[in-house]
Amino acid sequence: MSVTRRHVLAGSAAGVATLASGLARPAIAASEPIKIGFLPALTGPGSSTGVAINRGTILAVDEINAAGGVNGRKIELITRDTQSDPTKAVNGATELTRRQKVHVVWGPLNSGEALAATPLIARDGIPQIDPCWVDTLTDVKKYPLAFRNAPTNHQIGAAANRYVTDVLKLKKIAVIGDTTGYGTASVETYVGMLKAQKDVSVVYQGDVDASNPDLKPELLRMRDAGADAIMPWSVNAGFLSRIINTRGDMGWDVPIVGQTTLGSGQTKALLSKPEYWNKVYQNNFLNCSYNSAGQLVPRAAAFVERLKKANIEMGDTLLWWIAIGYDTPHLIADAVKAAGSSPQDIAGYFNKLSKWPGAYADITWTPEEHNGFPDNEIVMCQANSLRDGAFNLAPGYGA
Amino acid sequence: MIESIVVYGLAIGAVYALIGITYNVMFTASRVFSFTAGAVGMLGGVFGALFINRLGLPVVVGFVLSLAGGALVGVVTEVVTVRPVLKSLEQHLYVLSTLAFALLIQQFTAIMWSTEPQPFPRLLPFGPGLLDQQFWIPVLACVATLVGLELLYRRTLVGRAFMAISEDTYAARAIGLPEQGLRMTSFALAGAIGALAGFAGGEVLLAFFANEPMLNFYGFVPVALGGMGNNRGAVVGGFALGLFQQAANFLVGGIFASVAVFVVFIIVLLVRPEGLAGAAAGRRV
Repeated sequence: MSVTRRHVLAGSAAGVATLASGLARPAIAASEPIKIGFLPALTGPGSSTGVAINRGTILAVDEINAAGGVNGRKIELITRDTQSDPTKAVNGATELTRRQKVHVVWGPLNSGEALAATPLIARDGIPQIDPCWVDTLTDVKKYPLAFRNAPTNHQIGAAANRYVTDVLKLKKIAVIGDTTGYGTASVETYVGMLKAQKDVSVVYQGDVDASNPDLKPELLRMRDAGADAIMPWSVNAGFLSRIINTRGDMGWDVPIVGQTTLGSGQTKALLSKPEYWNKVYQNNFLNCSYNSAGQLVPRAAAFVERLKKANIEMGDTLLWWIAIGYDTPHLIADAVKAAGSSPQDIAGYFNKLSKWPGAYADITWTPEEHNGFPDNEIVMCQANSLRDGAFNLAPGYGA
Repeated sequence: MIESIVVYGLAIGAVYALIGITYNVMFTASRVFSFTAGAVGMLGGVFGALFINRLGLPVVVGFVLSLAGGALVGVVTEVVTVRPVLKSLEQHLYVLSTLAFALLIQQFTAIMWSTEPQPFPRLLPFGPGLLDQQFWIPVLACVATLVGLELLYRRTLVGRAFMAISEDTYAARAIGLPEQGLRMTSFALAGAIGALAGFAGGEVLLAFFANEPMLNFYGFVPVALGGMGNNRGAVVGGFALGLFQQAANFLVGGIFASVAVFVVFIIVLLVRPEGLAGAAAGRRV
């Protein structure tokens, strides 16, 4: 083949381009933004959580960028609204990892969506942080780059059980769930945990259709069995309010201890009388709970002041949702700052994280354990005490 | 326990009976078994909470608007899901079209209203206790509806026209009865009765989009027990279902109560396929 002037020119141009791109790459990498792919449900039935977490996330990103970014690199938050739909969460996750080439995925924020999206994010080799409670979402073998900065369902049930048996010292427990997958699985798991304790007996165990309008027969059965605490496991506000209302109508005074929905505004709206909400205790988190003096822990109080300064609305939501949203970009920024922005750098940093002090909780991850929430920071609170997104600690904690 | 079974069983049974009557009124005019009965029942509760709780309208106005809303949904059901199917098909495909429309209503309600149950307003200043209004209002609504329909069907010309269409559509049309108009009217009436069921039972069932399949399901049982098109049978069947279900709630509890109800239901249908109050239809040869 003869070498023409055109070949020489083309070859030279290619050589120069290759050289230029090779030389320029480190400079671009050093200044390119850190892309966080964010998958909140901002619309649809699961959006109350997503909207609140979004507030905290945006505040954190703005703060980090206003302070000059991470080693001179800005954080770019790329948000895709999952619309509370697992299919859209999967589409969003794929777009973020493959087209947008994000460094980390934050979310999805609810378990149904995370169950669908996590395997795909793992397959693309992108580090992921999620705040969902379903236990199977973290698995260091299947999803080595997936980390959870919230409690698992197992931890939530264990905390409620601990409060009933260790703090309130009650030993005869009634456990009831609705007939959804969450309800039946929770009852089965948590009853097993209670039964494993020596002096505790589960005197009633049942799964009831959440649409059953009359729960009096079930509560009579609990009372006849001698129950001294009711532990309902459901996210259905109608079901939970019927349990609370029936207890009130029966004039029965046992505590009701269980899932966070017990303290939600939807449950409150369905109560026959406001006083029926007394002695109802739901899961919450230590940093986002008022002690007996009505104060948050200093770290959380400082966080609330920061939220107030930034005019972040708290009255219509829960503090821990905003707090976890705020913590996550800071956690990612710390990882990039200390280790770098490749998937291995970020995951390597996460795997050595020890008591990282967030507004929400102290997070610890190890190569063997990607569930980072400490057991002792899951507490029970008084359902009727919501103020600025936080609740009073339930009686007995002595704090 | 007995008082609780009776009072609560009659109340919930009255709601089932009204949904059963809703099925029947639509069936009588069109021979169509429309699965939107549960949807209008669910909407009765949602409309009541919307007009009275959310918009702050007086109870009477909210009541009238809820029934009117149910009637409108009934008319739309007839126009959209029944008329085109009856016109062009011999098969019972209206089962699918009405079921699809019911699902559409349910999902639309979930999106526009809420996926969480919402409180239903206290209608009258009576209660609490076993004689609470939430227990006797459904029973009163059921009895009033039954008496009203009996009077309509037996004492008025329009009611007789409904019956004529029910007996023989072709003959009724041949003597000049406006079959289409009467069918649409009966769907409007059924829609209003369904909404009445949801409205009267709103304090017990709450304003909740997921009541639709539950009412469709349990409202069907009185029709099967009482015989298709037989309103008295539906009322007896509804009360029997409510009482039996509540007794099963007390005796076996939990999910087994529903199992017990349907075991009995299947046994009854095996023994008397035409329903407890129905008569075996004569077959022309």
